[in-house]
Amino acid sequence: MISHRDNNTQRIAALDERAEALKLKRGMGIADARAMHPTIDVVEADPEADRRLLEGLADWCDRYTPLVAIDAEDGLFLDVTGCTHLFGGERAMQDEILTRFFQQGFDVRAGLASTPGAAWAAARFHGNRIVTGGEEEALLAPLPLSALRIAPETRVSLESVGLRTAGAVMAAPRAPLARRFGATLLLRLDQALGRLDEAVSPRLPVAPLSVERHLAEPIMLTDDIERLISRLAVALKTDLERRGEGARTLALLLFRVDGAVSRIAVGTSRPIREPRLIQRLFHERLAALEQNIDAGFGFDLVRLSVLSVAAFDLVQGALTGEADDDDADIALFADRVRARLGEAAVLKPVVVESHLPERAVKTVPFAEAPQRRAPAAGRAAPPRTAPPMTIYPPERPVRLFRSPEPIEVPATEIPEGPPMNFRWRRALYRVARAEGPERIAAEWWRQLPGEEEAPTRDYYRIEDSEGRRYWLYRQGLYSTAPRATPPRWFMHGVFA
Amino acid sequence: MLPEVDVMAMSAVARDTVFALRRQIAKIEGTLPERLQAPAPGAIPGKVRRGFPSGIAEKQIPADVTGSDRTLVRRGLAVASADAFLHTGIERFDTALGGGLPRAALSEIHGLETRDAGAVAGFAFSLVSLILKEKQGLPILWVGTAEIFHEAGLPYARGLHALFGIEPEQLLFSEAPKLLDALWIAEEAARMTAFAAVILEIRGSPRLLDLTATRRLHARAQNAGRPVLLLRQAGEADPTAAPVRLIVSAAPAASRETVAGPLAGSIGRPAFKVDIGKSRTALPGQFTLEWNPNEHAFAERTENPVAVVPASQRGTDPAPASGAVLAFPALAAPASGDQPSRQQHPAHRSPRRAG
Repeated sequence: MISHRDNNTQRIAALDERAEALKLKRGMGIADARAMHPTIDVVEADPEADRRLLEGLADWCDRYTPLVAIDAEDGLFLDVTGCTHLFGGERAMQDEILTRFFQQGFDVRAGLASTPGAAWAAARFHGNRIVTGGEEEALLAPLPLSALRIAPETRVSLESVGLRTAGAVMAAPRAPLARRFGATLLLRLDQALGRLDEAVSPRLPVAPLSVERHLAEPIMLTDDIERLISRLAVALKTDLERRGEGARTLALLLFRVDGAVSRIAVGTSRPIREPRLIQRLFHERLAALEQNIDAGFGFDLVRLSVLSVAAFDLVQGALTGEADDDDADIALFADRVRARLGEAAVLKPVVVESHLPERAVKTVPFAEAPQRRAPAAGRAAPPRTAPPMTIYPPERPVRLFRSPEPIEVPATEIPEGPPMNFRWRRALYRVARAEGPERIAAEWWRQLPGEEEAPTRDYYRIEDSEGRRYWLYRQGLYSTAPRATPPRWFMHGVFA
Repeated sequence: MLPEVDVMAMSAVARDTVFALRRQIAKIEGTLPERLQAPAPGAIPGKVRRGFPSGIAEKQIPADVTGSDRTLVRRGLAVASADAFLHTGIERFDTALGGGLPRAALSEIHGLETRDAGAVAGFAFSLVSLILKEKQGLPILWVGTAEIFHEAGLPYARGLHALFGIEPEQLLFSEAPKLLDALWIAEEAARMTAFAAVILEIRGSPRLLDLTATRRLHARAQNAGRPVLLLRQAGEADPTAAPVRLIVSAAPAASRETVAGPLAGSIGRPAFKVDIGKSRTALPGQFTLEWNPNEHAFAERTENPVAVVPASQRGTDPAPASGAVLAFPALAAPASGDQPSRQQHPAHRSPRRAG
């Protein structure tokens, strides 16, 4: 028996058959129930866990149709339009769903109808009924008002005027009903009867393409899964070719025999459709996830879906047959590394127009970086990100620290000059030579109004007594004003 | 080691078999295949071999009576062809390495301390710049662990173009959370021909980076014909399959050259102190190489004039200013001709004044 707190009282939220046999009812206070039967076992309700379970079931129902929606807290809508023949007709499909749920330990009621409203009513008030087209009215007429999916207040006020069944509401004149009980009532009625269309909004976006294979004998080994992926990818290739597209995101769905579903996605930096490439990407992903995928008693349905597509440009191979597409090789390499190690595994620097050193180069994941110019595309215009050529470009270090590291500089003899010694990472460095300063101010256009002006930085190139070259800066200026904060020194990069 | 085989006495088929086997052995051992087709007598080995330790055996056998098809069988030192090596342009350095840096191989570049990361990265980039002279436009991949990128910073694309001619779009990074992942990425990249070079940067001496791991990298580099540079910051001289190990540290830079002579107190072109830790020839050597960013070439600084590091101008450094005569000849003379006088130089180029 499950309890929940309602208005400061613990009440029964749900109960099993044995509890029902004890004449306990939903909504009854727990104190009363305990008084009647002191031995009952009460569990606190956990709506979060219920929700997760329902989502797990919805995932599992993906095997019947990609259009699965969650209905309130205890129902699922499956839009099986065009799917029933795959399972041998409506009756066979519904029986299979019910059997499988029963085997998993769920007590499920199902209804199948041509409108969501009628199916909802059939599932909740009949259980295992199939309503053929045109029969909705006959189905709904004898049912109580709650079969119409209307708010409880509307139901109570309808009952108070003597309309106790759906049939009575249908027979009543429409205009007064709409005026008195709102438009929702008639909307629900029309939707249930098929006079208005009702859309079921699926939980997950529907993949443009997917191929799947039902397996008589569940598979467990990664090798078998990979072999199956390449077979599915072959089937996918013809579809992609017909559409003139390539896959950018692919998902592999593994349906375990006992109902768990694993969803594995890979992304590509350029559209692909070659089965060999798809299989290699999933090979890396599966290798990385090996520990996290629990095959259990095996997977009995494997589906490969294309989640997003992009136009696929056909490339004509060289006449010599030596197709030497370096860019494609690199893209595949980057995708494989990404499949195994995550989005940020391969990075590409992108030059940004900014004079702040840390902002002047942005590292972006390879897939999002602008593609390199094709060398054969004639004389391409220079990219706009390229900095203007200057005769003396400012000297920049070969390595830059992620964030400038504070260094300790003892009070220098020259307030505005470079330091003579400094301490960085606890080691003392003696400055032999210095060049600079190069003053770099903060970008005032990024400053929020009312914000204090960021201090300027004076950069120095430093060579220490052993010949290593560093890039230091002093943030702020020395000031003789009382209580002025002394400037701070930072190490920002190292030169070759 | 290889057995001594009298190649001449065998039939052509048998000889081919032997060479195939040798090639395989060479591959396992991590050396280059040992066959040379009819070299001019003494042409290639002559220069390289001069002053070699006597442990290197060499045998020259005429294959047939005409003498046109000669086969040179060497042991220990393998010289496949002239373009198997990347010439650094410094004769002495190339000779000590046995012809240059092997092009299709793993090469180790060590930095003694993490703070040498700038010099090591700079030296690696200058080698890459030499490679890119022939393979223009090919990208390079820099693989590192998260640890080293945190400790020593990421290569900074803005600083590479002026110095090494490497465009930002040619550079790819890969940051691996763990060493094992970094090794995997490097191995996968090393077998591709799409990269001009693969650089793997590791800090310290992890146990995973053993002889087997380096051998795997080396084999992939050999197959693909592309160099793999293994940068090891603060690493020990562990056993490695790489034929070459260089130890790089920073050397004081020369002053900037101006028309009026070297500019005192300025920091000029990058300079590296390179020790050969391991090479085919086993010749020890220490070189001070200076990178010329205009011509993208190395220059050797033979003698290290003391004046390169001028005495501290504040007088706190007790080092004797013995090189002053060498370093400031032009400063004493007045600026000649149309050249601007020292006072007219931009302020940031003038030496810092004390006090």
